[in-house]
Amino acid sequence: MSQLLVGQTLNGVIVGTLYGIIALGVTLTFGITGIVNFALGEFMMIGAYVTWYLFDIVGLPYPVAILPAVAIAAGCGFVADQLLFRFTRNNLINGLLVSIGLISIVEAGALLLWTTTPKDMGYVLSGAFRMGAVSVPRMKIVVFALLAAVMFLTYASLSRTWIGRAAYAFSQNPEAAMLMGVKTEILQSGVVVYSTALAGFGGALYASLYSLEPAMGGLYILKGVEAAILGGIGSLIGSLAGGVILGVTEAIGSIYLPSAFRDAYGLVFVVAILLYQPSGLFGTER
Amino acid sequence: MRRLICLAILALLASPVAAQNIVKIGQIEAQTGANAIYGYMSSQGLALAVDQVNKAGGFQVGGKTYTIELIASDTRGDPKEASIQLKRLLETDGVKFVFGPFLSNVFVTIEPYAKQFNGKFLLMGGATRIHDFLGTPDHDFLLRSWNWDAGPKGFGNLMVDRLVKETGAKKIAMLFQNDQGGKVLVDIYTPLFKQKGIDAQLELFEPGTKDFSAVLAKLAAANPDFLFPSYSDAHLYDIVRQATEGNYFRKFFLVRGSLGPGLKNKGEIDDYFVYVPKYFEEAEKTDPKVAKFVADYKTFYKRDFPYDQAPLCSSSCYDHLFMLIEAMKKAGSVDDVTKIRKELLSMTYDGLWKIRFDERGEEIFNFDIVRMKRAGQISVTSVDAQ
Repeated sequence: MSQLLVGQTLNGVIVGTLYGIIALGVTLTFGITGIVNFALGEFMMIGAYVTWYLFDIVGLPYPVAILPAVAIAAGCGFVADQLLFRFTRNNLINGLLVSIGLISIVEAGALLLWTTTPKDMGYVLSGAFRMGAVSVPRMKIVVFALLAAVMFLTYASLSRTWIGRAAYAFSQNPEAAMLMGVKTEILQSGVVVYSTALAGFGGALYASLYSLEPAMGGLYILKGVEAAILGGIGSLIGSLAGGVILGVTEAIGSIYLPSAFRDAYGLVFVVAILLYQPSGLFGTER
Repeated sequence: MRRLICLAILALLASPVAAQNIVKIGQIEAQTGANAIYGYMSSQGLALAVDQVNKAGGFQVGGKTYTIELIASDTRGDPKEASIQLKRLLETDGVKFVFGPFLSNVFVTIEPYAKQFNGKFLLMGGATRIHDFLGTPDHDFLLRSWNWDAGPKGFGNLMVDRLVKETGAKKIAMLFQNDQGGKVLVDIYTPLFKQKGIDAQLELFEPGTKDFSAVLAKLAAANPDFLFPSYSDAHLYDIVRQATEGNYFRKFFLVRGSLGPGLKNKGEIDDYFVYVPKYFEEAEKTDPKVAKFVADYKTFYKRDFPYDQAPLCSSSCYDHLFMLIEAMKKAGSVDDVTKIRKELLSMTYDGLWKIRFDERGEEIFNFDIVRMKRAGQISVTSVDAQ
């Protein structure tokens, strides 16, 4: 049983980083633009499908296929920002409505292009790393390492570079940041594009682990928002922590309780934490 | 002058133009979607059959020549969509013969509505849940176009018997979707396993689940001999991959789904025991009818033949259209559904499959059991279920 617990904790951590990358996008977008971008799951889906297409159909090596996938997701994010999101800055309701509308449009496009029949990408790295009875697929370890690295690099960039300080300054006091010379429009658009690039990157890695469907983004944005709330909206490390805690809770919950209700275990945990700490585990009360 | 032209046009429209004798056939199947394996091939095969019949000049019943109009839309496996399509077929298009559905969750949704048209049309679908309604009052419209799992001649019964005899399996882990299709499999196979002295453990998962590690690890902890997973390839690819990668299971027993997930992971699988209505790769070499069907498919659709999905053309597909036409000929009618049903129940049709219906309207046809062992070594056993 202990090996089962160890194995599933590790699996939960890995799955949780996929939630965490979306949560990071949610947190960044909310902190700088004041809206929750529910369409981030669709950008994850775009990244996944482009990766599948470039790897399976065109035949590009996987690491090469990821780059255009992320670029295309980011490009779509830029277009969405310029046409839609920039008119909804700091308007939570409008931003919500626009992002939900965008979900329908992007999903319909995916349905037209690829239909609802799942696509199963060829294996990038097969086999597993074994420690006794605990077995962790090699590709999952790679996915975890890459996602964690990107999240820490994002955190490091934001805390140690000028643009990061500008972003923090803007999130604390937009008027003062503007007066100090921060180009706020560029900053906000930049953050939206970066968060969609993160989602696209998450999607590219997701494609190496699981089969793809146009509706896949819906589950991950919900998990991303849960993780962002759990970790504390506005906290970058909280995004990763929230995702990991959610992933582990679901995995361990499925071992002791019926697996049919796996999604509920994470939610129950989130509610329990929020009752005790309303701003989330790493969030600060405003 | 203008008045003359208008009158001439009206006269032409009103004149008794030789009406084309058309039999409309509707189809409600998932051509795309997570469960498209249970509809894609049916739609492909039926369209091919319709084309062949019409190109041959149609068919004769009662001295008249009829052609077929096929009205088939993609339900995407969505019960709501299927309901709308069925309503349109019956009320607007006036269809008397509907092929499908293969999905139980779709069937249970459309059944209350379809029942209102009992005696006015025939519904021929492969859904497992249809079995429970066959032979019940107000359900004469129903025919089930697939083998039944249970009962002395049930293919599931035969599969489990073979599993015990050939592998000595004592414990099995069942992992099904938490929906109508999954639940009906639980209802069928739990008592079957119990009868054969096999200890069965069950876990359900929500449709849409992608990461199965936790539930696979949980099931594997009890050291079962085989994993008996899901019913749709959309989940099977993820389940089989994760089961083998995580070293949870290397032996699989399937009564739904295809050989595809097994072939993709063949290097990691010790035993893949699957019910395949027909193993087309081998049948193509030995059966001229199958070889012709494969060739006709490639010509008609101008693409490769989908060997992994072709076995599902055993339900409401190619053969069934020709059966229906034969029944119409014997009944001497294209719209007396009672007579046509009676003829269908009394015939044995020898096409790609040898098919007949039992007294309740459930199909019995010959099938294959495919066993794939390490490195993809395949053995096929053909079973004559008649």
